[in-house]
Amino acid sequence: MILTPLDELLLFSGATLLVALILGRGLAAGWMVTILYGGQLLTLIKMAALGYSDTIIHASINFEIMGQSLSWRFDALSWFFALITVASALLSSWFSCGEWERSFKQHGGNIWLYHSAMALNVFTMLILLASGDLLSLFIGWELVSWAGFLLMAMAGGVATRAAMRYITYAMAGGMAVFGGIALVYVAAGSLQYEAILTAVDQMSTTQLWMLVVMFGSGFGIKMGLLPFHLWQAPAYAETPGPGSAFLGAISSRMGLFAILLVLVKLFGIVNIDSLKIPFTLIDARDLLAWIAVFTIILPTFTAMKQNDARHLLAWHGIGQGGYMLLGVVVADAMGGAGGLLHVFNHATYQAALFMAVTAVIHRTGTSDLNKLGGLVVRMPLSFVVLLVGIIGLAGLPPMNGFVSKWLVYRSLLNEGMPLLFLAAVIGTLGTILSVYKLIHNIFLGQLRIEHEQVKEAPWSMMVPMLILAAIIFITGLFPGIPLAWVASVQEVIGLPVTDYTLGGVESVSGSLDMIWVIGVLFAGFGIGAVIFYSAGRSKRVHQLDNYAGGHFLSADVRYQYSDNFYAGLMHLIGGWYRGSFLWLEKSVTSLVDFISLVMQGLYRRANAEFYLLSTALFVIAWVVI
Amino acid sequence: MNEHLMLTIALPLLGAFLLPIIMRSSLAMGVWIGPAILGYGCWILGNLWLHGNGQPFSIAIGGFAPPIGINLYVDAMALLFAFATQLLGLIFWPFRLDQDTPKRQALMLLLVASSTGLALSGDLFNLYVFYELVAVSTFGLIAASSSGAAYVATIRYLILSGIGSVLTLFGIALIYAQTGTLNLAHLAQLAPDQLNNDLGLAAFLAILIGIGVKAELFPVNTWVPEVYATAASRLSAFLAGLVSKLAMLVILRLLLLIFHQPEATQVILILGILGVISGEFAAWRAKDMRRMLAFSSIGQLGVIFIAVALPDERGVLAVLALSLHHMLIKSGLFMLADHWGGSLDRLRGLAATSPLAGGLFVLFALSLVGMPPLPGFWAKFTLITELAGQTDPLYMIGLLVFLLATVIEASYLFRVAAKMYQTKPTENVRINAPDSGGLSLTTASLFGAGLIAVTVMVSPLGEALQAVAAQAQDVDLYIQTVLQQPLGERQ
Repeated sequence: MILTPLDELLLFSGATLLVALILGRGLAAGWMVTILYGGQLLTLIKMAALGYSDTIIHASINFEIMGQSLSWRFDALSWFFALITVASALLSSWFSCGEWERSFKQHGGNIWLYHSAMALNVFTMLILLASGDLLSLFIGWELVSWAGFLLMAMAGGVATRAAMRYITYAMAGGMAVFGGIALVYVAAGSLQYEAILTAVDQMSTTQLWMLVVMFGSGFGIKMGLLPFHLWQAPAYAETPGPGSAFLGAISSRMGLFAILLVLVKLFGIVNIDSLKIPFTLIDARDLLAWIAVFTIILPTFTAMKQNDARHLLAWHGIGQGGYMLLGVVVADAMGGAGGLLHVFNHATYQAALFMAVTAVIHRTGTSDLNKLGGLVVRMPLSFVVLLVGIIGLAGLPPMNGFVSKWLVYRSLLNEGMPLLFLAAVIGTLGTILSVYKLIHNIFLGQLRIEHEQVKEAPWSMMVPMLILAAIIFITGLFPGIPLAWVASVQEVIGLPVTDYTLGGVESVSGSLDMIWVIGVLFAGFGIGAVIFYSAGRSKRVHQLDNYAGGHFLSADVRYQYSDNFYAGLMHLIGGWYRGSFLWLEKSVTSLVDFISLVMQGLYRRANAEFYLLSTALFVIAWVVI
Repeated sequence: MNEHLMLTIALPLLGAFLLPIIMRSSLAMGVWIGPAILGYGCWILGNLWLHGNGQPFSIAIGGFAPPIGINLYVDAMALLFAFATQLLGLIFWPFRLDQDTPKRQALMLLLVASSTGLALSGDLFNLYVFYELVAVSTFGLIAASSSGAAYVATIRYLILSGIGSVLTLFGIALIYAQTGTLNLAHLAQLAPDQLNNDLGLAAFLAILIGIGVKAELFPVNTWVPEVYATAASRLSAFLAGLVSKLAMLVILRLLLLIFHQPEATQVILILGILGVISGEFAAWRAKDMRRMLAFSSIGQLGVIFIAVALPDERGVLAVLALSLHHMLIKSGLFMLADHWGGSLDRLRGLAATSPLAGGLFVLFALSLVGMPPLPGFWAKFTLITELAGQTDPLYMIGLLVFLLATVIEASYLFRVAAKMYQTKPTENVRINAPDSGGLSLTTASLFGAGLIAVTVMVSPLGEALQAVAAQAQDVDLYIQTVLQQPLGERQ
């Protein structure tokens, strides 16, 4: 039997898992696993033709179980997501090797569990991405959910609670998908993609609505779409450092993958567009777009209020997912490209940001934004990585986040959706404000006395961070590289294909060439530098060689302003934070609790015979009447 | 080979009566008798399964051909459950030695004999007799094996079961008054003419509620939590795993052969849905491991009832798959929980002291919530695709309730799992996780191994079950096999 490249990839990934399971306690386990991730990446690169065409590579294994055939294959969509998955696993794993691993063990962490859980996550994600029919998609979906649970729960304590919340949400999502699959099976008589494609045309509006709701909410839960977003931030944030970088980069994008596959490719965005909501002017597609927009705004402004760097980033992860969905739902060439490109871009800067924050935690022991500050003088490289990352996250040039967000905005304007555009811009505003809080409270301002001796992060952490920072910049300069893959993905899922160049996109409604944009930007920097250096020599002073309010400063005087950040803004918008979703979640929990109480009461009653007799009488009376 | 089949019922019955006498004279010989009988029973049934031609056959007892004489009907489904009975009887054999041993072992043999009879019997009255025998031996076992709390629970169970029996008898009497026969095949023949009316429906409902006491049917299952929580774990495992399924089997058989009224399935469906809701929600709040398992068992049986209400062959397949799966899982879980009584908080940190027990619990829980590729997933997949295909909106409600119940189930099972894997104890709580006794853990591992074996072989097993379901569904085959058998094959 000749192995196809996909077989090789899955075998490689399975082998990585085995190595982690068997040797995960060993000395150089981290390095071994990292090298194996590298191997997976090479196998993926061997399949690179997928990213530039619409060919398909099948796996040799397929099963026939209880009348269902299961198969696995890769196309451009799978390959694009797999590339991000494996690359972020490689870099996160690299980041965790050496010093982080040692300190994790010293603090009582289970490094074997960590490596195994990571390898399991990658393996199950690849299985999900390779799914060749709806049943294998569901199998992969559940595997990914539970693997994620393992990684989130492993830290114990708060993390376990967050993971429990996650798994309840994930189970609810999984069951919605399961129900949807049953309905599709009945409608199409099979779970093969081809059969579903033909069956969709014959479906009634009610059927299609039910399917869109079930699949949309099921997959949406994994993406953290409103109103199912509450689980995500704590669950990702409390995962051990590199794990959170990995999860933040790709995990919830599995939801987007499934939405692209099922809602966009199989059901077709046109069909979704035809589902009108009675008595309103909007249809299912508008509904999705507005959900996406609120997913951008609300979590982003929640992020602004976080005082823990990891939580802040994790909340942004939810919000950025909204841009991706928004772009895909707009579904023209530019919007689709923007949404898909944002998956790639987000993975790069989110991983970099989580790593930078983990590096800070590694050196200082805290990620509390009120207990840090001034670290730029001690950890300059980490500062640079974080800076690059937040520029990407905020969507400003010259980093890659700008390109994808620009495409989404542009498409909203082109398609005549100014309200959505406005809302998306409000979201970006919140992003900019909150990432400034992040970098200011960690790196700028006054260095705390207890951090005087802090050193730069070790090279085992620094190298993957710098690689990511480089990727963020390079794909910002040459967005054509990922756009080539994105174009193939668009073709595979049946969206209009964007016309890309190395520096951006070509379009009659507005082109973008990042090479020019960045050229102009750096020219501006150059002018600034000329002015700066021509102004004469500047003098370096110690941070305490300074004064404020007419007094000299000493180390015990705190002049960095971090607590109650944006007090003025909060005065204006503070009333909007009502915790409505928390209230909703709590009321659902209380409802379940109440019903449980009633049901238990039912069984606690002593006079069971009474039930029996009354039921018997009741049913017999029912029969007679 | 076929004539040996009688022995699977007769030998345990004989053993049950002789055991106390033999034990009095020689304990050493006595303790081996029970396992030997059950082992022999397994061998007979296993042989039948392997060397039989796959065709059902009927054995007339006492020299009279049915419908006048009584008979055993052996098709693949009956054989499967009879085999499971003998095997589980062997696995859960009460070998503990004390002054109650003869009593307990005799009752266990009686229970196995009557349960096997329940699976094989082809006659309504015979079914009733075996059903009563099951009930009596169960009361005895619960009372003989455990504490004061168990006595109280037994009394409650006794009263409920007694009323149930009366109702069942009433239903049977109605049928007899209408048709003049109690042979299932003969009834199946007569049913379209004589029982397809309100009287037939009333009879069925009376029987349903009566037998439903054992099958954990919704309003008559209030005995379940107390009994399972207080009886010996091995017994709870046998009751929850097997006896409830046998009662379910009887109901399924009656439904397939005799009662084709849509109202009958509707009642089952509604009660099943209520069972799922009540069981799973009650389990969500349970503070004690075995009570939680008992409630979850009520919920699972509710799911099986929903499957029973499904009309065609895939419905039967779903019933079989869900029943066998639940049999495997609940037996394993009850064995694990053998020493896990008391507050759930006692389980904190258990996985550190006993990794195998923790791992098994997670494995069982995953399969119970239907995590692919474990067998629970395939059973549930069969169920929901079948449910979604029905036109009656009630089935859609069943589907939604089932999905919701699964979420709740996952939530409470994994709350326990998370507790087990918690390493850092909170203040004031010492880690004093209970030890999972060696033997019960071994038994649970056996079920875990079985579960993994099924996972690997799910494809051939699924096909085999499909054949079993098709055979069980075939009413004409049943009638033909029982009533037109040449005289020569009688024993």
